[in-house]
Amino acid sequence: MRDAYPHFEAAGVKLYAVSYDDTEALRAFTEGQSIPYPLLSDIDSEVIRRYGILNDQVKPGDAMLYGIPYPGAFVCDESGLVTARFFHDSYKKRDSAETLLHAALGQVKVDDAGPQASTLEDTIGISLQIRGGGGRIRQGMIRHLVVRFDIPEGLHIYGAPAPEGMQALSIRVDGPDGLIIEPMNAPATAPLHLASMELDLNVWQGTPEFIIPLYANGVLASEVRPLDQETIELTVTASYQACDDATCLLPTTQTLHLTAPLDVVDIPQLAIHQGHGQREGNYDATPHMRRLLKRKIKKTPFKFLKFIWRSLRLERAGKARRGQKD
Amino acid sequence: MVVERDEHGFDAPVPLGHPARASMPTDRVYGPAIGTRLPDFTLVDAFDRTLRLHEDRGQAPAVVVFFRSAVW
Repeated sequence: MRDAYPHFEAAGVKLYAVSYDDTEALRAFTEGQSIPYPLLSDIDSEVIRRYGILNDQVKPGDAMLYGIPYPGAFVCDESGLVTARFFHDSYKKRDSAETLLHAALGQVKVDDAGPQASTLEDTIGISLQIRGGGGRIRQGMIRHLVVRFDIPEGLHIYGAPAPEGMQALSIRVDGPDGLIIEPMNAPATAPLHLASMELDLNVWQGTPEFIIPLYANGVLASEVRPLDQETIELTVTASYQACDDATCLLPTTQTLHLTAPLDVVDIPQLAIHQGHGQREGNYDATPHMRRLLKRKIKKTPFKFLKFIWRSLRLERAGKARRGQKD
Repeated sequence: MVVERDEHGFDAPVPLGHPARASMPTDRVYGPAIGTRLPDFTLVDAFDRTLRLHEDRGQAPAVVVFFRSAVW
């Protein structure tokens, strides 16, 4: 978000981030990481609670974890009404800053510098772009693979169900293990009525963009070990058929290739993250963690011992599961 | 440290079942729904300056991100 912030400013969209950290920790983070937007200290999670996004699976005895939100984002319009929400079924899944900005603007305006590829067979051009974070593929970070068709005026391509014997648009994305490819978001088709054949069709014309969300999981980009490779290869296969009002071209399949960079997770400088090959922040989080622990456990010191005990038990159970697998 | 991937294939420096890996249930909508007003709040920022959300954003659209921690 820091890198995308100039786009927010240019578009006149405000950006705020809220956590339960104290101001001293947020200041170290802001200065060490050069954060240009406000980080807000919801120290007793009062706002998190009032917003209804307190992680209630984490109990008061869970030491420093108690009070965390389910992570995500809200977008509001000029009058303060919520126009979009971004929350997921895993705390690891996050949306690119560009996705949030586009939601705030109601349109895609940012020209992202992500990996691109394009092709032009004799009639229809197809271009690919990965939008979000410069196309860097990271664990849980949802990027958008945008497949854009350039359909000359007068021609259209079909959405399913296509007329009998015709090729409806289908797009397949192949990538490495651990790259999770989600269902495609297609723009609405336009109805087209061919009176001569008494057909009602669903077509796309012009420059429709098809958006395929994707992200890495731990198989491809682990949080606890360095990356195995620096880039990944994507293959996009698009099959379609184009017609005008009178005639149809042959069904066509185009294949495009795209190389995208892999990236590690951003982590604070803290013992638990050491040696995992991730990108450390420019601030030592240890004193902030000490203060956080003190703040959280001072009322219930005994529960902290139980938390450590539970963590050790979970670790032991995990090792036993790994032992059974190996 | 044991490394275990969850049902999404995500990993973490703590084992499965650890509260740090608890994610949002999908049975209902948590938090303000689309179309409702984003609840106002007054919080201090990293430099101890007080900020009130709707006053600060004025007439601008806004994105409010909730994250878990800058510390761990």
